[in-house]
Amino acid sequence: MRAENVWVIATREYLARIRTKGFWIATIGLPVLMAAVLILPALLLTRTTSAHRLVIVDTTGELGEALIAELRDDSEFRKALDQLDETLDGVDTSALDDKLQGFVPLLEAPDADLERQRAELDQRIMTGEIDAWVWISEQGLAEDRIEYHAESVSNFVTQERLGRAASSVIRSFRLADAGLDVEQIERLQRSVSLTTLRVTEAGSREQSAATGVMLAYTLFFMLYISILVYGQQVMLGVIEEKSSRIVEVIVATTRPVELMMGKLAGICCVALTQLAIWLGTVALLTLPPVVARLGALPEGIDIPTLDPWLVVHFFAFFILGFILFSSFYGSVGAAFNNIQEAQQFAGIGAIFAVAPMLLFWMVLNDPDSSLSVVASLIPFFTPLLMLLRLAVKAPPWWQVALGYALTVSLALATIWLSARIYRVGILMYGKKPSLPEIWRWIRYS
Amino acid sequence: MTTYNRPVLAPSVELIGVCKSYGRFRAVDELSLQVSGGAIFGLLGPNGAGKTTTIRMIMDIIAPDRGEVRLFGRPRAAEDLLRIGYLPEERGLYRKMTVGDQLVFLGRLRGLSRRDADAATTLWLERVGLASWRRKKVEELSKGMQQKIQLVGTVLHEPDILILDEPFSGLDPINQGLFKDLLADYRRGGRTVIFSTHIMEQAEKLCDEICLISGGKTILSGPLDEVKRRHGGRAYRLEASGELDRAADVPGVETALVLDGSVKLILEPEAEGAAVLRELVGFLAVTEFRSEEPSLEEIFIRSVQDAS
Repeated sequence: MRAENVWVIATREYLARIRTKGFWIATIGLPVLMAAVLILPALLLTRTTSAHRLVIVDTTGELGEALIAELRDDSEFRKALDQLDETLDGVDTSALDDKLQGFVPLLEAPDADLERQRAELDQRIMTGEIDAWVWISEQGLAEDRIEYHAESVSNFVTQERLGRAASSVIRSFRLADAGLDVEQIERLQRSVSLTTLRVTEAGSREQSAATGVMLAYTLFFMLYISILVYGQQVMLGVIEEKSSRIVEVIVATTRPVELMMGKLAGICCVALTQLAIWLGTVALLTLPPVVARLGALPEGIDIPTLDPWLVVHFFAFFILGFILFSSFYGSVGAAFNNIQEAQQFAGIGAIFAVAPMLLFWMVLNDPDSSLSVVASLIPFFTPLLMLLRLAVKAPPWWQVALGYALTVSLALATIWLSARIYRVGILMYGKKPSLPEIWRWIRYS
Repeated sequence: MTTYNRPVLAPSVELIGVCKSYGRFRAVDELSLQVSGGAIFGLLGPNGAGKTTTIRMIMDIIAPDRGEVRLFGRPRAAEDLLRIGYLPEERGLYRKMTVGDQLVFLGRLRGLSRRDADAATTLWLERVGLASWRRKKVEELSKGMQQKIQLVGTVLHEPDILILDEPFSGLDPINQGLFKDLLADYRRGGRTVIFSTHIMEQAEKLCDEICLISGGKTILSGPLDEVKRRHGGRAYRLEASGELDRAADVPGVETALVLDGSVKLILEPEAEGAAVLRELVGFLAVTEFRSEEPSLEEIFIRSVQDAS
C-alpha cells in the first residue's frame, strides 16, 4: 500500500467535505441550538415585558392585600430579580419590580352595586385598560374557588402562578383562622432533597443526578449520531464514486484498498473536526466565568465538568466505532449500484447501532450489572456502551482494556473483509449482487 | 491505411497465456499478445469478447487466474503502472470538484508532485482550450468539455503507454479529432498506444498492430498490413458487361455480389483467381478483374464466423 496515495485521497475527501456549506451549518448550528436551549429561557425570564395588569376585588376584605404581597414575592421571580439587581449594581430597580414579576396587581374595593362593578371591569378589559380581574367572594371560598376573568384564558402559566399564590394565601388564612401557627406548620411540612455525590478515584465530588445523566446522555448521543451519520457518508461517497464512474479512473494507479483507507481516513478527520468543535464549545460554555455569566439554570442542574480522560475515551471510541460502521457501509456502497439498493442493506448496520440505544437506560441505571458488563463488551456495542459506563461510573480497568482489545480486533477484521468486497464491488455495474455472489467476491484471491 | 514500416522496439506490453474466469464464465482464455514499443495497437472484438477484462488485467485492476503480464520487457512492477495513462470505458469525474483540483488530484495519484501536477494542469488546460474553466465545478461543464478533462487526466503525467478502453464511444466529432491527434502525437514521439474498439473502420485507419479477440481467445493478431495480406486474396472486383448474375455459378466462386455493373466476388479458399477469370471471359466482356484487399470489418466477421 502506498501511503502517498492514501494521503492524497484522504486530503481530497477532507477538503471536499469541509468546504461544503452543509458541514458548517451542522457544525455551528448544533452548538448554537444547544446554547440557545440553555440560555434563552433565562434570557426570556428576565426580559418579560408583557406585564399582566390585574384588578383584584375582594368582597371578603381579608385576602386581597395578602394575595398582592404573595404575587410580588413569588420566589422564582425573586431569584431572577436578585440576579438583575446584582448585574445592575447600584441602580434602583424597584420601579421595575412589578413589571418583572409579570403581574401588575391592583386592589379595588367592592362597590355598592356589585353587578355594575363586574360589568364595568369587563368593559375595562374590552378597552384594553386591564388584562384580567379576579373576584374573591365568601360564597366562592366556601366552594374553594375564586373567579378569574380575562379576554384570553389560555395563559396556563399565568393562571397556574395566580392559582398557586391564591391557594397559599387562603391556606395561611384558614390556618390562622383555626388558631394554628402558620410558620410552625410550614417548617414541619418541609420535604427533604437528595444531595448526590459522585465517588471517583479523585475523591467524592458533589454532582447532581440530573447533571450526571445530562453529561452521559450528551456524550452518548453525540457519539451515536456521529458514527451513524459519518458511516452513511462513507456509503454515499462510495456510491457517488461508483455512479459517477470515476472509481476506475482512480484505481488505475491506486489499489482499491488505498482508495478505501483514504476515504475512511478523510471522512474520519471531518467527523473529528466537527466533534472537536462541539466538545470545544461545551468546554468553553462550562468554564466557570462563562457559567457565572449565564446564571439562571433550572433547579437541580449544575454544569458538569468534562473529565479530560473521558474526552480521550470519547475520541478513541469514536474512531473505533467509525471504523466498524463505515467499513461496513463502505462495502455496502461498493456492492450496490445506487442508494435505493444500498439502503435496504444499510438497515442491517442500523440494527447494531439501535441495540445500544435500547440498552441505554438499563446501563445508565445499573452500569455494573452483569447484563451491562456483557453488553458493553460486545464489540459492536462497546464504543457506545463502554463510553456510557465510563461517563457514569469508572468500570474495572480490565473490562475497559478487554473492550478495547475486542473492538480493535473486530475493527481490523471488518476492514479486511470490507476491502475484499470493495475491491470487486466498485468495478461491478448492472445487476444487483446476491449474497452468495458477495461471498464469492470475498473469496476471490 | 497506415503502413507498418517503423522500427520495432522492445515489446512494451506482453501477455503470456493469461486466463480469467468469473465463476464458470471464461472471460479470457489463454490469451497471449505482444504490443511493440512505439506502435498504435488495436484490441478488437465484439462486445463481451473480453477486451475490458484484458485491459484491466494489464492495469493490475484485476488479477489473472493464470498467466503473466509483462511491461517494458520485464515482469510488471507497481511503479510501471505510473508510466501508463489509462482511460477506462466507464469513466467519470467528481461532479462537485473544480476542474483544476480534479486534475491536480489525478496527477498526484499518478505519482506527480503537487507542483508538477499543478504545472501540467495549467499546460494541458491551455492545450485543450479550457484554461478559463479551471475554477469551475465539473458539473458546470458540457459533456464534451468533461470528455476533454477526462482525456487530460489520462495524459497529464506524460505516460509512456496510453491505454484507452473504447475511447471513441460517445465522443463528439471535435473530441474524436482531439483523440486522434493525440494518438498521432504519441506515435510520433515513439510512445505506445493501446486502444480497444468494436468499430473496425476506426481500427483500420489508426492501428499499426491489431489483436482480434472473441470469446476471450485470440482470433488473429499481428501488424495490420500483414493480417490483411494473410486474409486477403479471396476478394476480387470484376468490371464487365453481360450476364453478370451467372458469375455466381462459376466453379470456385463462393459468393458474387452485383452492384451497378460491377461484381464483388469472394472465391472459395482453394480457388485460383486466374482459373476463375478464364471461366468468366467465356460469357462476359471483362474490362477489369483485380484482387481486392478485404476491409478489417470483413476479416473480422469472417474470422469470428470461422472460429465459432
